[in-house]
Amino acid sequence: MGIKVVGVNHRTAPLDVRERFAHGAHEVPGALARVMAAGASGGVLLSTCNRTEFYLVADDEPALEAVWSLLGERLSASPAGGAREYGYIARDRDAVRHLYRVSSGLDSMILGESQIQGQVREAWEASRAQAGPVLHRLFQTALHVGSRVRTETGLGMGTASAASAGVAVAGKIFGDLAGRSALILGAGDMAELAATCLSDQGVQITLVANRTQERARAIAERLGGKAVSLEEAWPHFATTDIALCSTAAPHAVVTWERVGAVLGARRGRPLCILDLAVPRDVDPAIAQIENVFLYDVDDLQTVAAQATARRRDEIPAAERIVEEETDVFWAWYGGLGVVPTIKELRQRMDDLRAVELERALRHLGHLSPDDRARVEQFSLVLLNKFLHQPTVALKAAAEEGRGYGLLEALRRLFGMEPPA
Amino acid sequence: MIVTLHLVALALYGLATAFVLAPFMGGRAAPRVLTIALPCAGAAFHVVAISQLTPVGLGPALSMLAFCLVLLQLASERLLRGSAVSFFAAPLATGLVGLALLSGLAPGAEAAARNVWFVLHVALSALGLALMALAFIAAALYLLQFRELKARRFGQVFQLFPPLERLDRLNRFALVLGFPALTLGVVLALGYGAQFSGGLHAAKAQLVWGIFTWVVLGWAVWVRVVRHWAGRRAALASIAGFGAVLLVYVALKLTQPGAERFL
Repeated sequence: MGIKVVGVNHRTAPLDVRERFAHGAHEVPGALARVMAAGASGGVLLSTCNRTEFYLVADDEPALEAVWSLLGERLSASPAGGAREYGYIARDRDAVRHLYRVSSGLDSMILGESQIQGQVREAWEASRAQAGPVLHRLFQTALHVGSRVRTETGLGMGTASAASAGVAVAGKIFGDLAGRSALILGAGDMAELAATCLSDQGVQITLVANRTQERARAIAERLGGKAVSLEEAWPHFATTDIALCSTAAPHAVVTWERVGAVLGARRGRPLCILDLAVPRDVDPAIAQIENVFLYDVDDLQTVAAQATARRRDEIPAAERIVEEETDVFWAWYGGLGVVPTIKELRQRMDDLRAVELERALRHLGHLSPDDRARVEQFSLVLLNKFLHQPTVALKAAAEEGRGYGLLEALRRLFGMEPPA
Repeated sequence: MIVTLHLVALALYGLATAFVLAPFMGGRAAPRVLTIALPCAGAAFHVVAISQLTPVGLGPALSMLAFCLVLLQLASERLLRGSAVSFFAAPLATGLVGLALLSGLAPGAEAAARNVWFVLHVALSALGLALMALAFIAAALYLLQFRELKARRFGQVFQLFPPLERLDRLNRFALVLGFPALTLGVVLALGYGAQFSGGLHAAKAQLVWGIFTWVVLGWAVWVRVVRHWAGRRAALASIAGFGAVLLVYVALKLTQPGAERFL
């Protein structure tokens, strides 16, 4: 048995395929139970919008086949081969390295994003009953690696998407965003994503204004705000802290005529306007008011691009940590089976020695009790001499992290059962 | 010993300053632990040095002012995550220790140094001035960050300086604490003069300009606390207050040079 990861991610599968493979938390135990019934002794399922990965302690087949079959059923044309063509498998040390890269954000679509750390934790917790000791240790250390990379390198520095750049810019004005209020103009995907980013930071989404109410109502309900029409939103520019604009209007909707007088009533309180629409929703003249900070999508992409560039410089340092921690885990994993295997080997050899000794002594009935004891002593010394070098080599290999391969060889050579 | 300890503190503050300013000179930002540990170590040597000083004269006053500034820098870093305060405070403290060394530092045994009123006057005045300096630094950082945010520039200032709201809070905190500390320091000096020194020994210029400074600083606090000024206007008022302190001090030192007294 070895550690395996099998799955798909944003590099290997398009969004519509990843969406089908995504598992909700309630589906995890069932999916893992199915894979474990196929021979895996431990499993964790990590399913996010960018990846669906099964981490398993299993032999190559048939557990992996069970994963492909399970994922394949979610495609319209359901053969397992359909899922396989979007996926990948990493084994043993590569699987460990893969998870460490995932948890540190090196494998994320947005390099260094921190959300994955929480998702890895949630996946581990959701699969706790089925993970088994090896994967428990693997996920525990993966979270540690993620933390190390984020504290010891600048991989998580800055913000790398326009929506999160908006949050960062607002943060530079207001500091802690928790408790601040925001109104959202528009109800498209971008507006929803950015509003979710703000909401994640504790911003209270008070209003969602849109030309059509239905979609606005859905977002407002999800984020705890109220859906209104655009005309109803203008007076609220006097009180809100953040205005997020992302309508599909072909011209500016937030104009001086509509909000100029209202903004004057703010009495110097800062207002951050994030205009994510193309073409822009906000008349640039609004930014002339002293405490109004207006940013359009170009500004936010500049912030995001700077962060990404800085993050790229940190990749080598982050990879070094991942490699270092992979060595540590592999050393632990390599040594895991050494002691019981050595014990088992010695026991088998000793049983063999006892049987052969008894048979030999049956033919040597003329020997005195002293001589019989001497022969028995000889057999013991001989056994110890034979086993000394393999025992030492196995322990040393385990300490160097190479024990796992030797153990496999030993079990095959001496016909020992693999550990449960 | 006092000079040696000051030299060690100066070296540590100088090193911290170099690390803090490195990102503005094309270098990498130093680990946060280093930018805290170095001033902490410097402050440890500094406090031993100050404990052996007689707090009379320009050198000791500057040394105490630098020490208070370093403590406030560390406190604002720890409590308000205002790490950018060190961009100004670290070089300022380093410069003040350097000036203190140049002005002369020696142990003394003046009677005044053993008087509680006098020691409290010096300590509170140094603390008050350091808080005013901190208010000035927070205000300057605020205006720089404000300018960058309005101009949509996302360079080093945007990256490294704290948010506007936090700088505004730091400025208010420093002003509101600094002004009473400074006022109490002056009151203690008056009390000490009347009680132990046979009256107040101050030139008319010192009195007039001192009152002028106090009024300007008082105005800066009044507009913040009573008129609820905040943000850019409050930052400008605070800079005006500290600017007045500096101007008056330089003017008085030019008319009455010498290192035997701080004012």
